Amino acid sequence: MKEFALMMIGAALVNNVILARFLGLCSFMGVTTRIDTAAGMGLATTFVITVSSMADWAVQHYLLDAYNLHFLRIVTFILVIASAVQFTEMTIKKLSPELFQMLGIYLPLITTNCAVLGVALLLVEGHMGFLEATLFAFASSVGYSLVMIIFAGLRERLVLVDVPRLFAGPPIAFILAGMLAMAFMGFSGIAAN
Amino acid sequence: MSPQTIMDLPVLPTSSAVRPGTVEGIARVVAVADGTVWLEPEQTTSCGCCAAAGNCGSSREGGIGTVASRLEARRFRLGAVAAGFALQPGDRVVIGVGQRSLIKAALLAYGLPLVVALLTGSAVQGLYGNDLSTLLGMSAGLALGLVVARLGARLLARRGELQPQLLRLARPGETCGADPETP
Repeated sequence: MKEFALMMIGAALVNNVILARFLGLCSFMGVTTRIDTAAGMGLATTFVITVSSMADWAVQHYLLDAYNLHFLRIVTFILVIASAVQFTEMTIKKLSPELFQMLGIYLPLITTNCAVLGVALLLVEGHMGFLEATLFAFASSVGYSLVMIIFAGLRERLVLVDVPRLFAGPPIAFILAGMLAMAFMGFSGIAAN
Repeated sequence: MSPQTIMDLPVLPTSSAVRPGTVEGIARVVAVADGTVWLEPEQTTSCGCCAAAGNCGSSREGGIGTVASRLEARRFRLGAVAAGFALQPGDRVVIGVGQRSLIKAALLAYGLPLVVALLTGSAVQGLYGNDLSTLLGMSAGLALGLVVARLGARLLARRGELQPQLLRLARPGETCGADPETP
């Protein structure tokens, strides 16, 4: 139990998907203009990362390992992730058209982004059991969502600040992202202890 | 439509679900028939290039799993609300919904099924202790969570929290993430 808790804290904060592994940077810069959209997008990505990691673990163990097809790993994972994204959209549309309509207007399309694939590949490298792998994927995506929400909050405040023209827009956002990454480096002290 | 005409258009009253903290999104009118307007959200991928893709020829190419086909699946309609507007196919409009409603909807659709799945998976792992059982248990939990989410969505829909409102016509150059008036 303690090992699982430490592994999840490590995946969410110490080795954060965005700020430590530099994955999912397109959505990090593109969808963080408002907190509500960032939170919605974070939840959607959390769902996709966790579900696709479950499927990727099963494919890795019962297909790629069993038939020695490791060279097909990346192609297979991309296919699995794309299917998971489609499955998510189709299931929500079928279950509740109103919910699908509402989320469809405000949340961008989730694609096979590098964070989703990166987490799936990390699971394979870690040689984890199913529950451990799923919790790792969940914790990684919670870390992703957390950073998205924090950064969106900072950018909302940034709009109110008088930024020099040269730094206005993306330049100051990049500087802010760098400062946030440095702040998250403080969590590496947890790993050291 | 000229900007002057846009300014003259009425702003429709918002429902009780749309509070001052309203989330706005942009949609494009694709069809108008008998007072019902069909709209397509102007969202593309998570890189936030909604306006660029709105004018991009390649995004209109169809095919399974393409951005165009997925946007087509996201088409929705507004009935009586749109009757006050003289909308035509191609017009871009701003759709609003309450800030809390969006978070509630996302938590219901994505958060709840995941939590149920993880709890079920952990319980099954504790009982049987092997990966295959946990995989099956977690999948069953996910299905259960989705069913519960469906019930929750019905409740939200009954309260009118999942019904977006047509706010106004989009200003020229306005995109999902930026206001053209801000520098």
